[in-house]
Amino acid sequence: MSAPPLVAVEGLARRFDVSRPWLARLLTREPRRWLQAVAGVDFAIPRGTTMALVGESGCGKSTVARMLVGLLQPSAGRILFDGSPLDPRAGRKALAPVRRRMQMIFQDPYASLDPRWRVADIVAEPLDAFGLVASRAERRERVAELLRAVGLSPADGSKYPHEFSGGQRQRISIARALASRPDFLVCDEPTSALDVSVQAQILNLMKDLQERLGLTYLLISHNLAVVSLMADRVGVMYLGRIVELAPAEELFTRPRHPYTRLLLDTVPDLELRRRERVPVAGEVPSPIDPPAGCAFHPRCPWANGRCRAERPEPLPVGAARVACHAVEEGRLLA
Amino acid sequence: MTAAIRRFFDHDLWWSFSRSPLTVGAALVTLAFLLAALLAPWVAPHDPFDPASLDLLDAFTPPVWTERGDPRFLLGTDDQGRCVLSTIVWGSRISLLVGFAAVLLSAALGVALGVSAGYLGGAYEAVVMRLADVQLTIPGILVALTINGVARTLVPRELQEAAAIWVLVLAIGISDWPKYARLARGTTLVEKSKEYVAAARVIGLHPLRIMVRHLLPNVMGPVLVIGTIGLALAIISEATLSFLGVGVPPTTPSLGTLIRIGNDFLFSGEWWITLFPSLALVLLVLAVNLLGDWLRDAFNPKLR
Repeated sequence: MSAPPLVAVEGLARRFDVSRPWLARLLTREPRRWLQAVAGVDFAIPRGTTMALVGESGCGKSTVARMLVGLLQPSAGRILFDGSPLDPRAGRKALAPVRRRMQMIFQDPYASLDPRWRVADIVAEPLDAFGLVASRAERRERVAELLRAVGLSPADGSKYPHEFSGGQRQRISIARALASRPDFLVCDEPTSALDVSVQAQILNLMKDLQERLGLTYLLISHNLAVVSLMADRVGVMYLGRIVELAPAEELFTRPRHPYTRLLLDTVPDLELRRRERVPVAGEVPSPIDPPAGCAFHPRCPWANGRCRAERPEPLPVGAARVACHAVEEGRLLA
Repeated sequence: MTAAIRRFFDHDLWWSFSRSPLTVGAALVTLAFLLAALLAPWVAPHDPFDPASLDLLDAFTPPVWTERGDPRFLLGTDDQGRCVLSTIVWGSRISLLVGFAAVLLSAALGVALGVSAGYLGGAYEAVVMRLADVQLTIPGILVALTINGVARTLVPRELQEAAAIWVLVLAIGISDWPKYARLARGTTLVEKSKEYVAAARVIGLHPLRIMVRHLLPNVMGPVLVIGTIGLALAIISEATLSFLGVGVPPTTPSLGTLIRIGNDFLFSGEWWITLFPSLALVLLVLAVNLLGDWLRDAFNPKLR
């Protein structure tokens, strides 16, 4: 990783106010309640690569994605894009040059396209918003080019979204995201709403586009098969923190953190060639009232007194960065 | 174009429409009223507003099928010798005009406030929606009466007759906005959470542009349904205000004014002066209401 990363995140955190209304709080003398969705997340994505964030629902991976594209403001920490920090409180005009360079692909292709707009207008929306086309002819030409790039016909531009299937809609969504010629795409579960057969098509399209346009991806997913196909680096999130961050092959061949092992063990293995599975029970604790020490200790078979009291810091282990006392102490050797 | 026409007849809406004789009837009656109102100068047998054509000797002529009926006046005449049928045609014109304009005003006001409240949220939303709640606790007709009274004192005396219609529109329009605001806010809350709005925000569109270009078109469906039912209510409100004597002046009568004028002669036996405008009002409101009901059901996926 000699080249400077395109996107870097330092100490990113976000908490949500989930207190009851002011009056109810006053009457019951209840304190404010906060949900710590994301806490102290660090990572960097080198240009032209794909970084994946995986984790169970509610682990904060979508919150990270939404903060990156400016849909949510971070409570703490900063985001560096192409070396310069992003000020989320800057005005709309000041942010436009950065916004043009980062776009998002959404999870639900049935909700991410305005049902009242024609496809050509949907795809051209970023063009119009950033003033990237000078004339109607140029706009039409660029929309046709974009539709072709995602495997649709330029004639589809005059149709409405409801005339398309889920996979085709996701292609439209990708065409819109590409319209402003971005460098960085945040993909929030881009295939989890699609049929399995269509998932592969969309993923292949995304890989093609990455190669052709040199795109950098942040992929949010809970599907490990998708992640292993797409990602160069993988961050495993648990209760708002990255517990393990490693190159993809490393993570899939030598998972270190107990939670990563749990995740990989849940993937059905047809040949049964993997090592003995360690049963891990329990559910994700509430992020409103997270456990003390390591957030994973209530479910971890290797947890001891230290895990219950002291939060593990992410430490380098090989090419990976792991936040686990058991790994640090060598108590757990695979 | 032909494809568009074919799509229209293939549509679920057309299917559900053509399957309901009541709705088809209501649509025909509404259409008839609209045409009569639009073409009043050519449809009405007489011009009831032209004093030169009126003859007081024709006053109180009963309908044509009664003993003393006059073939010139199908539904008889009123105290000034005006043809009742013609006044109904011209009256519907004013009733419909006031109704449409009032619905337009209250829908514009309510949708603008509701969509912005739903999208922007926070203290602004709280203020707007509590305002709507407060106004909903006061009967609409009372609000309209108050606004009507205040507006009248503000309009100079010599302009009052000419401004009467617009004062009515203002009064009815303002008295009815909370309904639209609540509906628009609710629909906006649903639409706002959809990802196409997030996509527009990622691009960095101005909130106003998101509201106008994305939210407004998606909120208008339900508003149209409520608006149709609101039209019937606005016509009734206008008739009520005119009946109470604070609506349009007797020289350019609406259906409500006609009913009030006729009411004065009910006990002296000239029943037709009030009966026929009343029937026209009932028919018009019923037809519009049935259309609105059907639209509401047709757009409700749970009832399909």
